[in-house]
Amino acid sequence: MRFVKLPFSLLLSMMLSYQAFSEPMPRRNDLETDNVPKIDYRLRTLANGLRVVSVEDHSSPTVAIQVWYHVGSKDDPEGRSGFAHLFEHMMFKSTKNMKDEMMDRLTEDVGGFNNAFTADDVTVYFEVVPSNYLETLLWAEADRLASLNVNDESFRSEREVVKEEFMQSYVAPPYGKLNLLIEQRSFMVHPYRRPGIGNIEELNAATLEDVRRFHATYYRPDNATLVVVGDFDPKQLDAWVDKYFGRIPKPAAPLPRVTAREPERSGERRYIEHAPNVPLPAIAVTYLVPPQRSDDAFALRVAEAVLAEGESSRLYQRLVYERQLAQFINANADLREDHGLFVLRVILASGKDPAEAERALLAEIEKMRSAPVANAELEKAKNQLLADLLRERETNNGKALAIGEATVLLGDPNRVNTDIARLQAVSAADVQRVMQRYFTDKNRVIIHYLAESTNAQTEGKR
Amino acid sequence: MKDLQVIQMGARARKIKASLQTIMLLFTLSSTDRRLSAQQETPPPPGPPRSVQFPKPVEKTLSNGLRVIVASRPESVPLVTAMLMIKTGAEADPPELSGLADMTANLLAKGTTTRSAPEIAEAIEALGGSLDAGARWDSSTISINVLSSRLPQAMEILSDVVRHPVFKEEEIERQRRQTLDGLQVALRQPGSLARFVASRVLFGDAPYAHPISGTLETVQRIDRDAIVRFHRTYYRPDNAVLVIGGRISPEGAFALAERFFGDWARPAQPLTSSTSSARLPAKSRIVVIDKPDAGQAAVILVRAGIKRTDADYFRGLVANSVLGGGFSSRLNQEIRIRRGLSYGASSALDVRRDVGPFIASAQTRNETADEVAALMITELERLATDNLPDAELTPRKAALIGNFARTIETTGGLVAQVASLALYGLRLDEINDYIRNIQAITADDVQRFTRERLNASEANIVIVGNARSFLDDLKKRFPNVEVIKEDELDLNSGALRRSQAQTGKEAGP
Repeated sequence: MRFVKLPFSLLLSMMLSYQAFSEPMPRRNDLETDNVPKIDYRLRTLANGLRVVSVEDHSSPTVAIQVWYHVGSKDDPEGRSGFAHLFEHMMFKSTKNMKDEMMDRLTEDVGGFNNAFTADDVTVYFEVVPSNYLETLLWAEADRLASLNVNDESFRSEREVVKEEFMQSYVAPPYGKLNLLIEQRSFMVHPYRRPGIGNIEELNAATLEDVRRFHATYYRPDNATLVVVGDFDPKQLDAWVDKYFGRIPKPAAPLPRVTAREPERSGERRYIEHAPNVPLPAIAVTYLVPPQRSDDAFALRVAEAVLAEGESSRLYQRLVYERQLAQFINANADLREDHGLFVLRVILASGKDPAEAERALLAEIEKMRSAPVANAELEKAKNQLLADLLRERETNNGKALAIGEATVLLGDPNRVNTDIARLQAVSAADVQRVMQRYFTDKNRVIIHYLAESTNAQTEGKR
Repeated sequence: MKDLQVIQMGARARKIKASLQTIMLLFTLSSTDRRLSAQQETPPPPGPPRSVQFPKPVEKTLSNGLRVIVASRPESVPLVTAMLMIKTGAEADPPELSGLADMTANLLAKGTTTRSAPEIAEAIEALGGSLDAGARWDSSTISINVLSSRLPQAMEILSDVVRHPVFKEEEIERQRRQTLDGLQVALRQPGSLARFVASRVLFGDAPYAHPISGTLETVQRIDRDAIVRFHRTYYRPDNAVLVIGGRISPEGAFALAERFFGDWARPAQPLTSSTSSARLPAKSRIVVIDKPDAGQAAVILVRAGIKRTDADYFRGLVANSVLGGGFSSRLNQEIRIRRGLSYGASSALDVRRDVGPFIASAQTRNETADEVAALMITELERLATDNLPDAELTPRKAALIGNFARTIETTGGLVAQVASLALYGLRLDEINDYIRNIQAITADDVQRFTRERLNASEANIVIVGNARSFLDDLKKRFPNVEVIKEDELDLNSGALRRSQAQTGKEAGP
């Protein structure tokens, strides 16, 4: 993430793109499948491999432009943990035709904005501008795809910024380090085990040569997807895209891909971790679940909502409201490209015993395994998920994110239109089946995160 | 506190709500680098701009005195936000019961005469909706965001929780524990702790000085009587505004307002107006809260700002935008982009019914806290004295206008903006004058405003961090540094320090 307004850990758990929604709106405002109109997208692939997905929408005089690169933190070079994200920051520095921070001149200075985020599997650059600046921004995005020309001074200064980002997001907040530990303890083999923010030592080890190599390796038209949503003329868009992106050659070298796969977990693993400045103990439990493209993704999303979305969710009701063991609960079906990770987080209420909170948490998991969710509960969860998606698609930028995710990570832009029916089709039996299949004792990692002052002899792994 | 917890746990991705639906397009690209060499390309220029129209709010006052405002956006997604705003907030907290307004608002949805807390959550979430309540400065609000088709059911719940809360002891205790736990976490974050301290430094013992959620001490003292009294005193139709925004017709919205709030009785006795705020401390302070385990230092420059109704409001907005509003503002240029000292530096002109704070803030390494504080002061001074070229001013105005347009793009943002105008008695169609008001501001306005209203000589500095790493250097820059150890800090008074006797007494168990 380039700037503080968005958390770094956007993780692409930005929700699956279940639901299609575009203007004009249905007359009945119901969220029933047959009433949700399609997102009318156009997909083109240029000769150099660049995919272009566009959606015309003239309801406001703005346009959202995104470039999705299929490279993420899992592609960090060996010994360079955090590099994909550090590199993302460099993409705002000078190119052949632009000087440092010129992207801000072309966006913020004309009333638009820009940002970027690095996730495990992708790096995404985006901007929203008045629609009469579309050509300018297509030129600029093509320019930083074609060439990057960072000088050493900018590189060093921006690396300091990223180190401050690390400190601000993961060291200064009481539960920041827990987020790093969840990645580190949940994967043994797959590069997902390295947190995307990296660490100070490996950030310090990065060089300008690494930047050049990374750009040459991954920033190429056949590894990129351009998404344009908003106020434009399609013929004009095609002509500009051909002019500025079409001239970028496709390199001959093959694209390296992560091939490592995490083996199935063969037994519960427990960790007791300590950190300074932790006011209340926390617990994280993770389960290894299938990747984003799996058919089980839909039922896992519903399970996430039943467990933890809103104050009527099961974990909130049992742990926070009734038993008052916790002051915070969260469930996240963090479904990634290669593996999914279902993460449960609990911050305890003061004076409570972590062991008791863990038992209560696992008891709720067990209930989901042993009995189907009630119909009303299932419908509530689906309504929540659909309303969330609707809120996300209030803006051109939100719509573009859904399209980018469907195209790059699900392999088909039309998933923004077809997923809603599949979500609606999830049954109580489906939810119970995925709970039984993946939420087993031997498939879980349990982390207790405690204040350093309560540190006994047991440190780290056990 | 809820927001805070989400931020701490981080990983649950917040959705990016960030495109701009409506924006003025009159700005020309002024920054093309003329030094580009012959082989280099220059960016293609923009095409002709398109014009824009923001929603026009309409309003009506019910016979019980409730003001109802509708900001209709017929072509948007079928979502509606309805917000019931009480024109009294945390500024009305008695000093020994700070947190009372927030506790009262938080308890509204925790049980009514006909529904339990879980039943309320269940009902609203089954509609795919969410309900947010809390106090802020000058107001207490409770709002719902639902699909347009579910608005009638949601309004019924909104009306019930505002008018018939029961404030059960059991729920008060639960809320108290949650608030205390949330405070404990906030007090461990350098950033949030520095903000608490900054308010005390600026406002001393006047209203606006305490944390909205109260302190560890005052939250213990809030009892049911105080909550019931607060609710009875301030939650009345003639002290409230109902704002409905999104995809709904004005007629439909007015009908729902009448149906669910029309019979909300207005008490016979008139509402006594809240007291005006006390005098602010005159002396500037440099305060360090020594937190040896701080992973980073939080640095804040704080001084008095202006009221929302000040004639200089738009001058102030533009001055703030140049100094610290957005990525390319001077503070972020100097602190982040040029020196890599922070992930981000920014400033905010926080306007209220009475004079609110002007705050610049950044987090940085403990070792560089003094340098960041000095940069904040330098930049504030420079804005008052140095020339501000149009090439810098024009883009900062454009950024401000773009941000405004994005803020009111979602139904929630639109409703919040309209509610704020209503709260301070401003014309509702100021929304549609915003662009003109900003564009009228000149470089001279910015300079004069900064000199007269934001003078750096009256600025206070607050740093929360590991003092050992920066104290010596800080003392070289500032003669009168007050150092307060984290465990001696008292957020209940402007002095900020526990008396010795107090420290001894509370060090016990």
